[in-house]
Amino acid sequence: MDDTVHVRAFARFREVFGDNLEVRVAVPATVRSVVQEIARMNPSGAHEILDGEGNLRKSVIVLVNRERIAGNGREDYPVRPGDEVALYPPVAGG
Amino acid sequence: MDASVCIVGAGGLGCPAALYLAAAGIGYIRIVDCDIVSRSNLNRQVLYGDGDIGRSKAGVAAERIGILNPDITVEPLEVSLSGDSAFTVADGVDIIVDALDNYAARYLLNEIALAKDIPLVHAAVTGYFGQMLTVLPGRSACLRCAIPHPPESTAPPPVIGVTAGIMGCMQAGETLRILLGDEPAARDALMVWDGKTASWEKICISRDPECAGCGSGTKNG
Repeated sequence: MDDTVHVRAFARFREVFGDNLEVRVAVPATVRSVVQEIARMNPSGAHEILDGEGNLRKSVIVLVNRERIAGNGREDYPVRPGDEVALYPPVAGG
Repeated sequence: MDASVCIVGAGGLGCPAALYLAAAGIGYIRIVDCDIVSRSNLNRQVLYGDGDIGRSKAGVAAERIGILNPDITVEPLEVSLSGDSAFTVADGVDIIVDALDNYAARYLLNEIALAKDIPLVHAAVTGYFGQMLTVLPGRSACLRCAIPHPPESTAPPPVIGVTAGIMGCMQAGETLRILLGDEPAARDALMVWDGKTASWEKICISRDPECAGCGSGTKNG
């Protein structure tokens, strides 16, 4: 069974992946399956969101339904059809 | 105004922040930077001109904002933020402005703010994008709660001058809000500026009890 998750990308990710994406993922879905699908849909930008081992980059801030999801287990956080996943890459310069 | 602010970093963020805090009449401003002015700075570091290339940023910045407002005290401090001596750079001030350009120094400044119980107004910029977070030690999320892992890129990021100007002004505004007893806009929130669409997002951040900066230090992600 497939269903749709709404993805909002901020800052640099908006340039790379576009804003307000509708991403279809197999259920039960997780943060990991959502970001892997985003990378699959945008192979040229995959390295921006995934590290060399295919994991979500540690620096990326993730929100599900506007709630920050942090910690070592965040990639396993469940995402339900209709949820909103937001992704933000912190910036560094000054 | 009988208030004191330490601006750490006299670059793209620090220049506009210093200008507006001086113009607002902050009685004492300390400017910390060990760097010298280079030509590539001039698109965004608006306190400096072509004739300042090679001069101390802290020194020139203090000179310029002293001209803007001769009734305030400005102290340039030409030191790098590293080692044990870093812990004295913000002694005696009411607020610290993080106008740095790397996370190693930012995490150290966050640690200093927490240890000294001094509010910290953080900002960072890359390209068209900027972020701001205000840390009220013991009463809000800290920088490490918000960003436990820095971005992986180590190359100096390109910055559109206007982006640094907007975020430096935001830091000055936030500093004034705190000094005047108003609620900071970026407490427990990353204010994110997207200059491509000229829009703001507010990402709510909670204090992390296991944070490596202000908590038990057991969380890695």
